[in-house]
Order: sequence, then structure tokens, then C-alpha cells
Amino acid sequence: MKPSPSPRAGDQAPRWARWFVGAYLAVFVVCGVFGFEAWPLTGWRLFADARQARQPGFQAVTVDADGRETPIPFRDLPAGFRGDVQVLKGFADLPTARQAAVCQAWAQEVRARGGEVAEIRIYATVTDVSERVGDRAAPPTRARRFTCRPRTADAAG
Amino acid sequence: MPPGERGAVDSDRRPGSGRATLPLRGAWRRLGRLPHARAKGSGPLAGVERWLFAPGDPRRLAAARIGLCGLLAARLASGPYPELATQPPALFRPISFLRLLDRMPSPEVVAALQALALGAAVLACVGLLTRVTLPVAWLAALPLVAMTSSLGKVVHNDVLLLLCLVPLLPSRAGAAWSLDARQRPPARPGTAFGWPVRTAMVVAAGAYFFSGLGKLLHAGPAWVLSDNVRWVLYASSDTQPDPNPFALFVADRPVLAHLVAAATLAVELGFPLVLWRPRLAWLFVPAALAMHAGIGLAMRLDYSVMAATVLVVLVDWPALLDRFHPPGQGEVPGPVPVEERR
Repeated sequence: MKPSPSPRAGDQAPRWARWFVGAYLAVFVVCGVFGFEAWPLTGWRLFADARQARQPGFQAVTVDADGRETPIPFRDLPAGFRGDVQVLKGFADLPTARQAAVCQAWAQEVRARGGEVAEIRIYATVTDVSERVGDRAAPPTRARRFTCRPRTADAAG
Repeated sequence: MPPGERGAVDSDRRPGSGRATLPLRGAWRRLGRLPHARAKGSGPLAGVERWLFAPGDPRRLAAARIGLCGLLAARLASGPYPELATQPPALFRPISFLRLLDRMPSPEVVAALQALALGAAVLACVGLLTRVTLPVAWLAALPLVAMTSSLGKVVHNDVLLLLCLVPLLPSRAGAAWSLDARQRPPARPGTAFGWPVRTAMVVAAGAYFFSGLGKLLHAGPAWVLSDNVRWVLYASSDTQPDPNPFALFVADRPVLAHLVAAATLAVELGFPLVLWRPRLAWLFVPAALAMHAGIGLAMRLDYSVMAATVLVVLVDWPALLDRFHPPGQGEVPGPVPVEERR
């Protein structure tokens, strides 16, 4: 049944509704304009920065007993491991004990999947995505930043 | 406006009372700092307020409740919360109130929250005890969704859904198309049904506008004029297991990449126009859906919940229903009042 389109006479939104909507939209707009993150309110920064062709990043690899390096397959690990980009970006600022714990967690998960992990190396990379080799970017330049062994992490300079 | 002239979007815009006032307006008026004309309700702010608090169709609010709660239920049923609960504490990068914890909530807590939130969301969707089940669903879902954003990056896909549900929480969202409503006489249009949907519409439109504004503030014209989109797409393709043909198709064509960037910014910054001219939703809503689909194809980033939220909130589903199934069609003909026979 379609309701009658005419509202009741004197039908006004209650005062609490006006305050509620006013306050809610005010904080929503403030977060949007100033880019504040007060989750679930957010500054809506989605691809907000202009990217350059040369893109800095990090790469974490496991090293087996023979010295062979294998990139950690973060995409294949459980959901809790998929913040690797952010963890790697902030790795240098973590306390040493936390760095070791991060490496330990990665090593444990790779070992649980049958991988051999003698150590974990973290490289700072610079990829020039404008240099293409076929459908891929040319290999990045790498500089080793950290080497983690069981329960230790030390800067490799 | 006669029903036949309605668009399929926001057909419930009707002039409201000029006496409507925003909460702070009274304070300003008492201080003598608000121009008299504004206090009488003739300024742009008063116009916005009249629009926000104009009467609305209870079915439109019901459609928003069903759509948003259905989305929330689907998200809660399929989300990676049990998997996140087993995350090693060292990898925990909490957001917002989860900073009170030193690791993800335990699997037991997550299972209980998920069952509660999912059950409440389903009940709110069908409209049973809506005044209780809708807030319970939202509150129980909040920590679960926060978990997905506690990997170091805000997951905006779910945020818009949560934010659009907020104005429905204290509203009479179960007054139509609900199990609750079967026990009551049919609800008539009124102010109680207008502001929740329109507030959600402002939030949905604002999400896109602020995304565009962020690009302008942080990158400026370079977001469109530089090769920004090409580099974003190349980088995204390079991190995928196989090269992405959609990303490479755009990235290999600089002119196309600039056009995509310009169109993205135009859609985002122009999106609030749908609030001013509801028929523009026919342009902006499909454009936003196409944008999310493009991002999904080229970058394998999932914005499906955000896209579906926009569809639920900005399309006037009752008006669409009336267009394809006019009221009274299929009903048993009853006695016709004398006035209508003339």
C-alpha cells in the first residue's frame, strides 16, 4: 500500500534529531576537510598523493641454509600478515624487540608452509616503473637494511 | 509533484517548514550575530536545513535499512575476522579504539561478536525489533570492521557502509517493509522518515567529494596533469601475480591515463550535485560504480561494499518500484469513492 504523500500538519523533526544530524555532519565534514582520522570517521585519503615514476619500497626475503633468497609470499599468507607494506615502511622505527618479533612471526608462518628460514633480510628498494621490461618494471635497485635471525634483528647498515 | 513526474532518485523532496532551525542557529540569533533574514529561514543554510528535515517516505527509509543491513550481514558473514584474530601480536597495528588492546581480539571474542552482529543485522534487515537490533548490529560490527583496518591502512570499503548506517540508528527505520510494521497501521510520510536517508545521502556524496578534495589538496593539478595515474597502474600491475591487462592498457596510453584521472576527479568533486539535482544521480551513480569496477579490474582492489552502499542510499527504490509496478496494480479492485469517479 502506497502511503499518502501529504505529511501531517505541524510535523516537525524533533530537537534531538536536529542536534544529532548537525553534530554528526559537522564532525564528518571536519574530518573530510582537514583529513583527520578518527575511525570510523576518516579523512578519505584515497590515492591522494601524486605518484612519481621512481617509487621507493621494501622487500622482505627469507634466506635458506644455502643462502638462496625467496621473497616472502605475503599474498598467500593469512589475512593478518597482509599489512606487510605498512609494517615494512615502519620497521626501522620499531623497537629492536618488536623488529625481532615481526621477523619471528614471518619466519614461523613461512616454516609452517614448508619453507626453510635461516634468516630474513629486508631490502630498501627503488623501482622505476617507467622502465619496462616486457609487461613488468625493470628490477629495482636494492640496499639491504636489516637482517633478522631468530629472536634478533640488527641493522646491516 | 505528481507521481508520474518523479525521477527515480529522491522523489521525496518536498518543501518543509520555514520555521526549521539548526541547533546552533538559536544560539547565534540570541547573540545577535545572525542576520535577520537567515533567522527567518531564507539563507542557504536554512535551505539545506529545510531539505534535510523535509518529510520523507517511510518506504525509502525502509529500503535504506534493508539494503544497508543486508550489506552489513553479507560483509559480517564473509569477512576475514576469525583469520585476523589469529594474527601474531607483533603485526598488530591498531586503529581508533583498538589501540586499547595490545593484539587483535581473541578468536572466542571475535566469534561471539560475529554471531551477535550477524544475527542482529539479519533481524534488522527483515525489520524485527528494529530499534534494538539495528544499533546492536552496528555496535557489534564496529570492532570487527576495525580489525580489518588494523593492518596499517584504513579500509574505506567498509567505512562508508558504517557511516551511512549511523543516521538510521536512532530513526524509525522499521516503520515500513518490516516485520515490526505488520503489527501497526501503515506509516504515512513524515519528517521522521526524511532526515535519516538524506543524512546518509550527504555522507555518501561527501565521501566522494572529500576523496577528490584530498587529491587536490595533497597533489594539486599534478594528480591529473602529471603521469600519476600511469605510475599508479604500472606499480599495481607489477605487484600482481600476473601483469594486469586492464592496468597496462591505460598505463601504456598517456592521453587515456590523463582522461581517466580527469574523469575520476570530476566524478568525485561533482558527486554532491546529486543532492542539489537528484536526477544527476543517473549520471554520477553509474559513473561511481564504473570507477569502482575499473579499480577492481585494473588494481584488484575491492570497493564493492562502498559501491553497493552508494546504490542503496542514492537510488529512490520506492519510486523505481512505483514506476514499474504502479500502486494498486494487481490488487483486488475495491469500492471507488464517489469523488474519484467524476
